[in-house]
Amino acid sequence: MTHEKFCASRRKFLQTMAASGAIAASDLAWWEAPFLSPRKASAASVVRFQFSVPEPLRISLVESLIERFHKAQSEVEVKVEFVPQAQARQKVITAIAAGNPPDLCMMWDNWLGELDGMGALEDLTSQIKSWKHYAATTPTAWQTVTVKGKIVSFPWAITNDAIFVRTDRAKEYGLQAPTADWTWDDFLTLAKGFTKPEKNQYGFGLRGGGTWAVLYASEFLYGNGAQVLKDGKVAINSPEAVSAFEWYIDLIRKHKVTPPSAPTDAYRQIVEGFGRGVTSMYLHNSGSIEEQKKFVGEPNFATLPIPIGPAKKRASFFFSETLTMFKAAKNKEGAWKFMTFLMDDEPHFDYCKTLGLLPTREALTKRPPYTGAAYAGFVGSFPFSIVSPYLAYPGWGGKLDSEGVPLFQQAFVGQLTPKQCLDKFAEMLTKNMA
Amino acid sequence: MSDGPGPLGANPNSPGAIAVNRQATIAVPAPRALLSRAMRETLANYAYLLPAAVCLGGTVLFPILKAIHMSLYHNVLSRPQDYQFIGIGNYLRMIHDPTFWLTLKNSFTWVFWSVSIQFVLGFLGALLLNAEFKGRAFYRTLNLLPWIIPGVVVGLVWEYLYQPNYGPINDILRRVGLLRVPIAWLSDLNLAMPAVVFTNIWRGIPFFSIMILAGLQAIPDEVYEAATVDGASVIQRFWHVTLPMLRPIIIVATATRIIWTFNYADLIFVMTSGGPANATQITSSYTLLSAYTDLDFGYAATLSVILLVIMLIFTAFYLKFTKGVESVSG
Repeated sequence: MTHEKFCASRRKFLQTMAASGAIAASDLAWWEAPFLSPRKASAASVVRFQFSVPEPLRISLVESLIERFHKAQSEVEVKVEFVPQAQARQKVITAIAAGNPPDLCMMWDNWLGELDGMGALEDLTSQIKSWKHYAATTPTAWQTVTVKGKIVSFPWAITNDAIFVRTDRAKEYGLQAPTADWTWDDFLTLAKGFTKPEKNQYGFGLRGGGTWAVLYASEFLYGNGAQVLKDGKVAINSPEAVSAFEWYIDLIRKHKVTPPSAPTDAYRQIVEGFGRGVTSMYLHNSGSIEEQKKFVGEPNFATLPIPIGPAKKRASFFFSETLTMFKAAKNKEGAWKFMTFLMDDEPHFDYCKTLGLLPTREALTKRPPYTGAAYAGFVGSFPFSIVSPYLAYPGWGGKLDSEGVPLFQQAFVGQLTPKQCLDKFAEMLTKNMA
Repeated sequence: MSDGPGPLGANPNSPGAIAVNRQATIAVPAPRALLSRAMRETLANYAYLLPAAVCLGGTVLFPILKAIHMSLYHNVLSRPQDYQFIGIGNYLRMIHDPTFWLTLKNSFTWVFWSVSIQFVLGFLGALLLNAEFKGRAFYRTLNLLPWIIPGVVVGLVWEYLYQPNYGPINDILRRVGLLRVPIAWLSDLNLAMPAVVFTNIWRGIPFFSIMILAGLQAIPDEVYEAATVDGASVIQRFWHVTLPMLRPIIIVATATRIIWTFNYADLIFVMTSGGPANATQITSSYTLLSAYTDLDFGYAATLSVILLVIMLIFTAFYLKFTKGVESVSG
């Protein structure tokens, strides 16, 4: 009798567990509305929007823009997912591979080639060309979002690179203030003047970590007449490039005008190094301007275009933050409506101004704060800014980080000569040109 | 046969009553069950184990088999059009990949120095904490802190401590006059691996000290008393009593720690991302890089299969070496 009772209770236990599991499994959906959640009263269509978050400021900014959009209309409801920047690319690619991408994603232009290679992007060319602000948008901005002749995104904000300089320190040390047409020699002289290791002060916060370690070095290489691609072939290991790279590496190894941590310094380290007074110059996009205004104080720094190289040339790579719609988006109409709202004058200007990025329409750059000294270097770099050459091939996307950066770091620490580094780098780029 | 009414109240001699009585007295075998009772009990027992087996299979066996399957394919997530079976192609690529061999060398360096120093310092800590002194309970709790803190937090904190320009380590060294120019601990090719190993040692000491402390407390005092009576010195007691009796725990703790450390990528991921120039890249962090930066899941699966094989070989040696350890030490 005892045994029967025991068997019956175990059977009932298993049945209960099975029923509980079935109910739990029915509520496992993540993006879709849970089966057991309350139903919505409104009939608004939902747009799923993935946004990458380099800093918390963007969360409140994007939420306020979404709120404004919701107040302006009632047909579309935007559900935003904030994803840390480090995981954003993997997340969107795995979502595409799984056949369930968001409707809309904020992403950087250097991902577009890769995603287009997956056949994931919606061709927006005809819609964008009939959009009211198409002609007023900077042509270079459209170039950053054009892949194989197709416009696949809106350039939400653009930026290029310029040198931040501590003007107060230049005065303090009696150094000649640089001008917009300064040369490599002027740059080196200034960097040496700023460098005082006994005070833990260095002239230039060279970036050795992250993808931009390769891009910033490449921008300097262009000053000596080098190019990443020439006549369709990889040319980054040309004699001009090697000679320029030797000069660049000498900043670390010979002149020692960079902090000892330069070979691994990434975005936060170069921005904070300047903000804390460890470095007096660094190369970056306009996104750190607002932060430096708080760190250093607006009157104490200025921005200048990249110095002119020995070949009387210089280059600054444009890149854009884009609003990209996917081919597999479930609500393309809603996504388009939201995208065009964000690209309207006031939301677009507010987004760019808050983050220190540049609007894509020239008329908006005539408004403060873009008319101030803090933005002078970036606006002044427009004439020689080019779309990043590393966008040319989708296969280069992740390889810059996984193979390019370690190669450059090996050169920065002296494990490879500049020529060896650039030869291996060129070999890697050529191999991944598909 | 009686003439009186039968149990059914009828005439027991009537044909019907005789037929019923005949049925009642003829033994009829009970219907035979499809399965025997023992078999039913066995099946019931397996049924109760089934959910756990499914979970274990789903979370352990399936990923291993899936990884082996993936390693046989060219599978780059951002190039779905190139997905194809390539057999041992990824393994051949790995053999010719200099970065893989570098990461393997780094992994052994990482494991050897981390575990050996953790063990020595953990043992010393356990001996100290086993002694009687005021506030011992407090220090035992304090000793656990590095182990309790999540690995990512440990990595971030030590990255800040090592920061050459404004980190406390360089600052203190400069103030006491030991340093003139800041040391880039995590950017220097020769210092980056020792720096992360040091952090890992700091983190792992409590594990050994707690495990060994538990072992020390299980050693009966009588054994030490007997040894003392026999004239054994402190060192002799340690060598001939303490160490042999702790041997099983030492072996288990060391083996476990070796396996964890070999697979442990989060400290390196947070502090150096494998840099500078792959100087701190270990095989598990290289696997992460292949999977989540290159999105090359085929190659990442290959690396993880190789890690599995290495750990299986180690475990086989460990089991062989420890066979009979408990009976020897008992």
